[in-house]
Amino acid sequence: MKVALFIPCYVDQFYPNVGVSTLQLLEKLGVEVVFPMKQTCCGQPMANGGCEQDSKGVYEHFVETFSEFDYVVTPSGSCTYHIKKHYDIIEQTPAVQKVRKSIYELVDFIENVLKIEEIPNSFPHKVGLHLSCHGQRGLRQANASEITGVRDGQISKLLRKLNGIELTELERNDECCGFGGMFCVTEEAVSARMGQDRIADHLRNGTKVLTGGDVSCLMHLEGIVKRQNAPIKVMHIAEILNGNQP
Amino acid sequence: MNHPDHPELAEAFNKDFERTTWHDETLWFVRQKRDKAVYPVPEFQDLRTLASEIKDHTLSNLDNYLIEFEENATKNGVKVHWAADATEHNQIVMEIIKNSCKVEGRNARLVKSKSMLTEECHLNGFLEKNNIDVVDTDLGERIVQFRNEPPSHIVLPAIHLKKEDVGETFHKHLGTTKGEKDPQILTEAARQHLRGKFVATDVALTGINFAIAETGSFVVCTNEGNADLGVNLAKVHIACMGIEKIIPKLHHLSVYTRLLARSATGQPVTTYTSHFTKPVKGKEMHIVIVDNGRTQQLGREDFRSSLKCIRCGACMNTCPVYRRSGGHSYDFTVPGPIGAILSPNIDLHKHKSLPFASTLCGSCSDVCPVKIDIHVQLYKWRQIVGQANELPAAKKWAMKGMAKVLSMPKVYNLSGKLARGALRILPHGLTHNQSMNPWAKARELPDAPKQSFKEWYEENRK
Amino acid sequence: MFSCSKFHFEGGLGIYLSQKRKMTSREKILASIASNKPTLVTLPNVPIFEGDGSIERFKTVLEGIGGTAVELTTKAECQEAIDKYYHDLVNVASDIVKANVAVNLDTTKEILEQVDLAVIQGEIGVAENGTVWVPESNMLNRALPFITQHLVLVLDKNNIVANMQQAYDKLEDIGNYGVFIAGPSKTADIEQSLVIGAHGARSMMVLIY
Repeated sequence: MKVALFIPCYVDQFYPNVGVSTLQLLEKLGVEVVFPMKQTCCGQPMANGGCEQDSKGVYEHFVETFSEFDYVVTPSGSCTYHIKKHYDIIEQTPAVQKVRKSIYELVDFIENVLKIEEIPNSFPHKVGLHLSCHGQRGLRQANASEITGVRDGQISKLLRKLNGIELTELERNDECCGFGGMFCVTEEAVSARMGQDRIADHLRNGTKVLTGGDVSCLMHLEGIVKRQNAPIKVMHIAEILNGNQP
Repeated sequence: MNHPDHPELAEAFNKDFERTTWHDETLWFVRQKRDKAVYPVPEFQDLRTLASEIKDHTLSNLDNYLIEFEENATKNGVKVHWAADATEHNQIVMEIIKNSCKVEGRNARLVKSKSMLTEECHLNGFLEKNNIDVVDTDLGERIVQFRNEPPSHIVLPAIHLKKEDVGETFHKHLGTTKGEKDPQILTEAARQHLRGKFVATDVALTGINFAIAETGSFVVCTNEGNADLGVNLAKVHIACMGIEKIIPKLHHLSVYTRLLARSATGQPVTTYTSHFTKPVKGKEMHIVIVDNGRTQQLGREDFRSSLKCIRCGACMNTCPVYRRSGGHSYDFTVPGPIGAILSPNIDLHKHKSLPFASTLCGSCSDVCPVKIDIHVQLYKWRQIVGQANELPAAKKWAMKGMAKVLSMPKVYNLSGKLARGALRILPHGLTHNQSMNPWAKARELPDAPKQSFKEWYEENRK
Repeated sequence: MFSCSKFHFEGGLGIYLSQKRKMTSREKILASIASNKPTLVTLPNVPIFEGDGSIERFKTVLEGIGGTAVELTTKAECQEAIDKYYHDLVNVASDIVKANVAVNLDTTKEILEQVDLAVIQGEIGVAENGTVWVPESNMLNRALPFITQHLVLVLDKNNIVANMQQAYDKLEDIGNYGVFIAGPSKTADIEQSLVIGAHGARSMMVLIY
């Protein structure tokens, strides 16, 4: 199978380590990964901002970059969701349809394509999992508390198998972090408050390492952690599964 | 005309950190009660699907069901009126009251149970101007009526008020002891006060939760008993409904009565589920069917399903933004997520900030008992706001600029490199200047790495 | 609004008629719906879900919503129950137990206001939510169940069903007026503090025989 790696724009620019970890992790799991250099962005920020018509050029460029691959793997639930759901506004050529089917969020790819249920590693830390909305309620990669009281999902399944790990029990297991794209600045007061409340929940319940599947959420939460000088390290799930330590 | 938009009102709301905590926790508590009521019902998701599909069907046959409903109601001796808009609705209600009450030496008296439709039409003010005394009898509504405020939630009108606030209001209007804040005592005072109003009223007005085409009946759901008390003591019952309240058959009520209260407050059912079919001999019953923008929404393919709403308020209770900004920050009769997809249909310009008052987390769609895809509609309204040129200029051009850059790899790579370079060089005070960079009000910017992933890849892997 | 093209292409008679008679709001609304509604969508079938329709379940749920449930062996024991639980209430309206306030369709508000206790027949009990169907024909007067200070409903245990699908299935006719009553009246409008006894009955008991 031909597998390509898609690194979201803000990961490329500000969190390259997450990209490196994703690449290394996939290779450790036996996947030969191609990274097409001409990739840029999935177009989500503009589309969420009300300018999806203006994003068509970005969508077409994305499809052009990735249509030759069987799988396109990305460490981002929100980009994956956007491509699957919102690329319906461009002409549905075979290439477009293929890309919309072949885009996979990293953990989903590991569990459902590679069929890997456990990544043996040691991570003896108190870990708080932040469930990103697009991955959870968008792509249904984890149970939603609106539907069931059973807390389970793809990421927690893999985390639980790590040696020495202790998963935090949060009060609000899946409340949004408040990033929301441009929302983080256009509705700054609410955005900040939402993020602060997430961090407070983690702190109250003993989180030392905060992780999740989306750098967008983590970037926003880490920004608050750093401003508060809170004793929490923020790591993307790819970094943890890759064997990195905090 | 400049009026404050959601971000401005939300910012003001958040200035009081403690009160925001209290408001958020109070509404989250209601969400938790909902969960507790929902989890033990094994067929709850099936019920949601049924409720959604029944309403989808009904909207696709709405005119025929309304005709059937009118026919049956009329056969039952109920008078059916039609109002194209709010003005007409108010006029009709007023005329019914004036025609049925020939009172001398005093104003005609109306008691009202909760009806968001009448809030939408601004009925109270109109009636007061026309010498009709209006008393809202739902406790929360009476509180906000005393305070001359709109309700901030469609089910819990006074949720934005603390018991001390209510105590103050009741001290002023009902003569309760100053400083009294015990909800039990305050409710008892309201009970006594409103009993007098029920007994003395001429006309009673209610909303309609469900109107049944098959029988011409309608159902009113309450917890307090104020709707039935008012109606059954008055000579005339006026019931107001939006066109979308119709359901085809009586047995369909079984679906909605299992979903409504569980979704709204976490109760298994409302205390009273009252089925009105015929008036008592000698008394009058009127139904006012209202459009007021609903048929326009019906014609919008992407948004018509918002008309399925049964006004439970679950989306408000679950919305992390609503909980931290309050109903008044939406400046629309129906606030929260459902309000944000109903209001642009009424006034796109006024409510252009509402579809953006969301992170699109999708929680609302998952609690909606009739499966309205609220978060999808919020996204779609954003595109309409964008295309109607209603985005703030700076934002619009930033988005267009980004779109251009991001479709050109070389330009993107270079811009990214320059941005990171700048961040690494510029002093913290400048990059984190709070008036220039709203991100920095409560957050640190990410550290700007020397290499992008692409640069690392090029160096290490090619 | 008349545009140039409308004027040219519409028949003269049509223009004359639409100018002559304004559409009623009813016509406007129905026409607007007809032109805006989507293609017909199928109506689903609602199954009669199964569930726990036991007396135990009904009692537990009713108590959870602020009501009281008392099991009797026969209907005749109602009087004893009322004497036991409500001996200090003065004005009683009922067609099942001893009553000293006569209540019917013509009873005045002044009299209704005096009622302390109403004891009337309930027809169907629903275990999932503790609600009881009371048709108008059992109410003596439509205002009675709401204006009484305390309410007692008398229910045949064989008429307890599991859920609302079963209840509506059993309910043949909703008559002119009927109410599902679930416990005493209540409100949480003041800071989400639950207060039992809002405008309707302050307390509610179901006697199950």
